[in-house]
Amino acid sequence: MRRVAVVGYANTVFKRRHADKTFARLAYEAVRDALFMAKVRHQQVQEAVYGIYNDLFTHNMMPELHIHYQLGLARKPAVRVTSGGATGGVALRTAWQEVAGGLRDLVLVVGVEKYADLNGVLEMIKAMVYGGDQFFEQMAGVSPAGSYASPAIFHMQRYGTTEEDMARVSVKNHANAERNPDAQAPMRLTVDEVMASPMIIYPYKLLDHCLSSEGACALLLADEDTAVRLTERPVWIKAIGYSTDSGRQAERDGVGDSLLPAVVASAREAYEAAGINDPASDIDVAEVYDSFSGIEIILYEELGFCGRGEGAFRLKEGFFDLGGGLPVNPSGGLIGGEHAVSATGLYQIAEICRQLRGEAGERQVEGARRGLAQCMGGARGAYSCVTVMEVD
Amino acid sequence: MGGNEDPRMQPGIWSEKEGVFILPDEWKLSYQVSCGELSPFFRALKEEGRLLGMRCPSCGAVYCPPRSWCHDCYADTDWVEMAGTGTLTAWTTVYFAASDLVEKVPFRQGGVHLDGARYPIIGRLEVEEEERLVSGARLRVAFKPQEERRGRVSDYYFVLDEVS
Ligand SMILES: [Zn+2]
Repeated sequence: MRRVAVVGYANTVFKRRHADKTFARLAYEAVRDALFMAKVRHQQVQEAVYGIYNDLFTHNMMPELHIHYQLGLARKPAVRVTSGGATGGVALRTAWQEVAGGLRDLVLVVGVEKYADLNGVLEMIKAMVYGGDQFFEQMAGVSPAGSYASPAIFHMQRYGTTEEDMARVSVKNHANAERNPDAQAPMRLTVDEVMASPMIIYPYKLLDHCLSSEGACALLLADEDTAVRLTERPVWIKAIGYSTDSGRQAERDGVGDSLLPAVVASAREAYEAAGINDPASDIDVAEVYDSFSGIEIILYEELGFCGRGEGAFRLKEGFFDLGGGLPVNPSGGLIGGEHAVSATGLYQIAEICRQLRGEAGERQVEGARRGLAQCMGGARGAYSCVTVMEVD
Repeated sequence: MGGNEDPRMQPGIWSEKEGVFILPDEWKLSYQVSCGELSPFFRALKEEGRLLGMRCPSCGAVYCPPRSWCHDCYADTDWVEMAGTGTLTAWTTVYFAASDLVEKVPFRQGGVHLDGARYPIIGRLEVEEEERLVSGARLRVAFKPQEERRGRVSDYYFVLDEVS
């Protein structure tokens, strides 16, 4: 396998609605800026992979075809990837395989989200329900939010984690977003303010919940020879792990120690390939899929950033803060930064690239040389993708 | 969303608030969903108020929701009737739903490990006393009255099993 690097990255700002831009325009702006960074013209791009999550959001069944043509890439291959919230990570993995395997030297990866044409939040939730099992969950009132409630409830029962512990994740991520000019929800909050926000699904309140965003992110991948010619600061994709689990959320209840088994499996694959033995000290910065505050605490443990049952304590101690031992979600994550579903997994990678290249501004993690990004989708992390990136 | 009028018949408008032109639109498709080899489950649910599962003749695993083949053995499974009792795994309260149960919110929903089944099943819980909803609590399936049943999984729910 060839070494593969990210040689250019860019994203739009993220907000609830980009009413003034079409879907294709959002993609174009991210692609234009990523190519500009790498000083590559679009004619040189050999292939593009598109992470586009949901036809019902996009109002189109073949959105990548229409974007690809408008990007001036017609007659080159276009591949669409859709894997729920893991779409960005799996799109990156698809492009990485093409370059690592020697099929292409220069491949674009694009994630673009424009969900807010749906007429209100209820329409969006209705559209998301179609990711569930057709007969037994779509029709049972199972909500995507519900799938992330039960792991938190298990965690509370097993380890005594509290709603206040979870609220601390929201406080941290909204505060980190204050240092990110692209973030949707920069806020100074207190634990009490999070606790006082309206209940959505027990144990989560509105401020424990991820955002809904529109925006786009693009990355340009290159093989080693091309990468070192294009940039003095290539960010290497060291390893990608990818796993899945039962798409039916009920069929995992209470099975084993792990609350998110696909996360554990994807991390194991990535750590083995990257030679990581102790993630807490071997990784300098991480972006993880904080769909809900309590899920971030569980992810610390499932990703091996601390022991089982220690997540809430380590968070309270400041270990995962900017300036802590392992800063998690310096961008603000999905709770404070953005959750433009199709773009999220790629935006996490863009944030890691910023951190490893020393371009993260006020939220820079000093001396970061190795970073991790984890995204997941489907009922309760039924898809999970973990990427390890590093600089020489 | 006002009434049943097709939004595509409404005129587009300039939005002063957003500074863009807005076109009302709608995707609405109707289906006649074939339940295929799982049809006996839905028919028994609607017509008889019974909960069926499927059993693997090779390893003995019982699946409810039914699966017509065992994903370990790749063997075709056989229909069995479920006892309808089981234990609670975890539960939550849903304040926002968009499916068959939209009129029921807020409602409690949990995983129920039916006796004899390999995996838990998800369902609405009709239990008033929150303190009794602990992992391991004994539950029993209940059905809507026949005239209200539509053959969908929202036809059944779970109550505390006072007997066992
Ligand atoms: Zn079997």
